[in-house]
Amino acid sequence: MKIIPLATMKFFRIKDQHMWTLFVLPGTLLLVLVLGFPAIQSILYSIYPEGGGPSYTLNNYSVLFRDSVFRQVFGNTVLFVTLSVASHVLLGLGVALVLNMEIFAKPLFRLIALLPWVVPDVVVGIIWRWMYDPVYGAFNDLLLRIGLIPAHVQWLSSPKLALLSVIFVNLWRGFPFVMLILLAGLQSIPRVLYEAAAIDGASRWQLFVRITLPGLKKMLVVALALDIVWEVRRFGLIQTMTQGGPGNITEVLSTYIYKQYFQFFRFEYASAVAVVMTAALLMVSLPYIWMISQEE
Amino acid sequence: MVGSSKRQFLLNIQSYGFLILVSLYCIFPFIWMLSTSLKTEAEAFRMPPTWIPIKPTIHAYLYMLTKKNFGIYFLNSTIISLATAVLSTFFGALAGYGFSRFIFRGRKFLIGFFLATQMLPGVLLVGPYFKILSKFGLYDTRTGLIIAFLTICLPFSTWMMKGFIDRVPEALDQAALVDGCSRVGVFFRVILPISAPGMVATIIFAFLLAWGDLLWVLCLTSTESMITVTLGIARTVGEFRIIWPMLMSGALMGGMPAIILYLLLQRLLVQGLTAGAVKE
Repeated sequence: MKIIPLATMKFFRIKDQHMWTLFVLPGTLLLVLVLGFPAIQSILYSIYPEGGGPSYTLNNYSVLFRDSVFRQVFGNTVLFVTLSVASHVLLGLGVALVLNMEIFAKPLFRLIALLPWVVPDVVVGIIWRWMYDPVYGAFNDLLLRIGLIPAHVQWLSSPKLALLSVIFVNLWRGFPFVMLILLAGLQSIPRVLYEAAAIDGASRWQLFVRITLPGLKKMLVVALALDIVWEVRRFGLIQTMTQGGPGNITEVLSTYIYKQYFQFFRFEYASAVAVVMTAALLMVSLPYIWMISQEE
Repeated sequence: MVGSSKRQFLLNIQSYGFLILVSLYCIFPFIWMLSTSLKTEAEAFRMPPTWIPIKPTIHAYLYMLTKKNFGIYFLNSTIISLATAVLSTFFGALAGYGFSRFIFRGRKFLIGFFLATQMLPGVLLVGPYFKILSKFGLYDTRTGLIIAFLTICLPFSTWMMKGFIDRVPEALDQAALVDGCSRVGVFFRVILPISAPGMVATIIFAFLLAWGDLLWVLCLTSTESMITVTLGIARTVGEFRIIWPMLMSGALMGGMPAIILYLLLQRLLVQGLTAGAVKE
């Protein structure tokens, strides 16, 4: 069988150094089409007056910044992301450090610790909604049996507890990934560094601060950047657990925008919120994008 | 020396204690899900809750599969996720090869573009998608969802495939080129066969990305015959009276493919999701 190579046919004779277009362009064009185009569309909606264009206004943005609900939702998101990411890093680092030691049944522990991260958000949301059920749920039952709480607690419907309860679930859901990245980082630190420092009489704390942390620096940056982006976008978890309630206590930007679009049909306003959210996300992740694209 | 081994022993006890606590935290909700899914409705609403079902029954599973269209949701999820995964991995492999082998003007910019698109939140796009798909009669269709899921999967697949292709020595390309093979031939006859395991892994990851999504399905489909497993589960929560054993069996079935596939791919997980920032 003889296949005529594309590039040797007269029509398609392209210098090899230009062949990249053939490979990179299809994906790029597809991405522009399915992603770039709607993104621009969204920016356009955000400057249409409510009810539709084609005139332009910045009114949606001024409405948004004066809207107390938006401010509350923005605050919720910041709190949700900050506490989630901080707790992911703390628990993830702790587990990674222990798993990096000579431990019996290490693969088993690693596997178990990965479980919460692999199931879809929706599944996580409903498992915990049922866990948290004030009367029939396992969470209250467990805490009552241990004696940590004196009576049934309304984890998801109490205004004081709801957001923290959701964040606690998100800790469960998200720490395995940070653990995995940091574990990969720990394993890449040469053992000899520790041995040499130990011979010089360094304490465990010194080993941690002088060798472990600097060795983990890059992995920490990667883990932080990705985790922040993912937690800002988190949707299914909250949608299935509380749908933003009670009131707006657990409402974050993604659920808020969804509601504005598909329950109140305020397309222009919703787009403006989405644009603000995206700008914030890109600002946070730009250093990371810069770092990676310079390295490649 | 005795003192130090005693300290080591205590440290071990602490470490295992910590690991066992974390493991319980991780696994307890799953056990609760499994236990509830095997209960009767009456037992699920007992006070105090029973941790192990008194009379285990698979009634809830049968109910979900026969009465709740769960089979259809499964089929939809599989078709949509698989089509998205194959498409995005094919285009991702092409782009990945281009980024891996060629130095050209604007390369860094394009790499940055692919990375940035991975950061965009879905909620920025669902509004326009809803309008555009409705206009073209693609609202509430599998095709519409496949197009939408490309936005999530294509940047990801490109990164992952680039990582795999980077590991194939460029000398192989050169050898094939010298032998008179074209660039396109090199890609299809040398690169793809060698990185086939990587492609399979990328397809599975992309599959799972699409499988786990709720936002897009919620915004772009509505009828029972079009929705996916995740939306099927989410809708059941929204019903007036939640029958927890049914819901838990549905959740377990919906989560199972993800659990199995992710655990198979454990080793590639870090590299795949950090977009080349981490190389193992």
